[in-house]
Amino acid sequence: MKQFTFEAKQKNFLIGMMGLGILCLILSFILEPAQIAEGGTHARFWSNFLLNVVFFTGIAFMITFVIAAFTLAYAGWYVVFKRIWEAFSSFMLPGLIMMVIIGIAVYAHMNHLYHWADSDAVASDKVLTGKSSFLNKNWYLFGSIIIVGSWIFFGRKFRQISIEEDKHGAEVADFAYHRNLRKYAAIFLPIAAFTGPAIVWQWVMSVDAHWYSTLFAWYSMASWWLAGCSLTIMLIIYLKSKGYLEAITKEHLHDLGKFMFAFSIFWTYCWFSQYMLIWYTNNGEETIYYFTRKSEYPVLFFGNLVINFVLPFLILMRNTTKRRYGTLFFSAALVFFGHWFDYFYMIKPGVFITAKEALEHGKEGAHEAAGHAVEHAASFVPGFTIPGLLEIGVFLGFTAFFIYWVFNQLTKAPLMPLNDPYMEESLHHEVQSYE
Amino acid sequence: MKGHHKEVLFGLYNDEEVLMNAVKKANKQHLDIMDVYSPFPIHGLDPVMGLEESRLHIVGFIFGMLGTLTALIGISWIFGGSLMFHGDWPTIFGGKPYWSLPAFIPITFELTVLFCAIGMTVVFYIICGLGFGVDNPVLDDRITDDKFCLAFQTNDMDASAVDNLKGFFQSTGAEEVHTKTI
Repeated sequence: MKQFTFEAKQKNFLIGMMGLGILCLILSFILEPAQIAEGGTHARFWSNFLLNVVFFTGIAFMITFVIAAFTLAYAGWYVVFKRIWEAFSSFMLPGLIMMVIIGIAVYAHMNHLYHWADSDAVASDKVLTGKSSFLNKNWYLFGSIIIVGSWIFFGRKFRQISIEEDKHGAEVADFAYHRNLRKYAAIFLPIAAFTGPAIVWQWVMSVDAHWYSTLFAWYSMASWWLAGCSLTIMLIIYLKSKGYLEAITKEHLHDLGKFMFAFSIFWTYCWFSQYMLIWYTNNGEETIYYFTRKSEYPVLFFGNLVINFVLPFLILMRNTTKRRYGTLFFSAALVFFGHWFDYFYMIKPGVFITAKEALEHGKEGAHEAAGHAVEHAASFVPGFTIPGLLEIGVFLGFTAFFIYWVFNQLTKAPLMPLNDPYMEESLHHEVQSYE
Repeated sequence: MKGHHKEVLFGLYNDEEVLMNAVKKANKQHLDIMDVYSPFPIHGLDPVMGLEESRLHIVGFIFGMLGTLTALIGISWIFGGSLMFHGDWPTIFGGKPYWSLPAFIPITFELTVLFCAIGMTVVFYIICGLGFGVDNPVLDDRITDDKFCLAFQTNDMDASAVDNLKGFFQSTGAEEVHTKTI
């Protein structure tokens, strides 16, 4: 088994991409769309930053969640690439640091991402007053620190136990390290299940401060997991092409491909359930959300379904596409971008509407609720109605940062766990014997 | 398959490892295996026997699509409002148009799954020769419990070929060798 070395060439490339990302982020600070430029809230910059921080922190969180779930489910097959997931999981630390930056900005009212952060608006708005015990800047900042901090504790614990097991696992009797891991995984799972949705509500769903959906957390957490799963597939195929991880065969990738296929359908199920209930009930304060998105953001609304459901469903349905590296890599890249696009769709329209209303609110001095955005003419707004070049640049920069962090973590430990009790099972994993 | 009797020569093994080796050896000698019977699925036996990928999932896809079409056509026929149908019993639900796709998706989904599941099950039973009133003789009751069986069909074989097979069973460690006409 080869130890992973982070080559200078890879480093330079990733740093270059990060540079591009930072450049695009700065440009998005300056190049505010004309419709909301007057407000001076730099909504494009802040929403880009929020979108990518939430997306990548969420991937790290969901991967930690899946490690815990797999550990408790006696899953053995994933152990060969467990180290990659442990490296993913450690990205929660930089994620939290960046999230704290956003939290401080919300606290100090340096941005206008969230309508509920505006105390004047909350005072004159019954709905927002009612929600203010959860949606307030104190909880946003300190709640994020407490919750993500606890996730980081468990993520580091999983990693630490796994590294310890490498060193001393062969000496102890009765799989003591693995039993310890199971204990922590069992504690983490319910914590993650309750705090994950809360984080999604306050980070993502509350950009539309008046709107709520009980299915939202399912849907967005499935999205995170799919992004993490597809990124894992791409990284494994890349590392294999560099001669690492020869023990990972197409059998493991086939199963990861199945996860990607199945959860794409699960994601669609959640997406549709949320849509259909709101569409059928036709309750004004809920329907406005979809009405605005369908009429003013059609590229996001329908593009989301095509990239994340239609294409993966049709491509990954065949057995052979999940067993060939080319097609699997292609569909993983599609799904990875697709779920970033999904988060774009969740965050951007809400931020734009909030920014626009803050502007009009300032102009007219009238108290208006956030739902009144319908009359704003549908038009092309770079960085909001579709991802502009700057958004793609920021996305690439953050992806490079994530991969840089992961590669850096991979150098610190053997690429495969040495004494994991399930290692042998994982090495012999076989999904189908015929070709 | 009434009227067509199979003469079967089969060997019983006590261990699946021994059976696997016997199947491998039979393939090497180009013996025409009729079938292999085991009380439980044996990992890796399929490629050794030279079995191909099952095509049952294609059946599943076709039946699934049939279910999708049945649902969409059925709903359209009842509610109308679409290109082809005027509506047999148009009804307004929740103030929505007669023909409104989101409301039909759950039913379409259910019928797709139902057709797919039932279609696959029925086709599976048919290709396996199972079903009501179909007689499926068992070579030996113990192959449903603790014996592993390798069977050859000997209908058109001469005596020397049959002896050859018996020798093969002996050399591969079969515990018992029997013949049976089914």
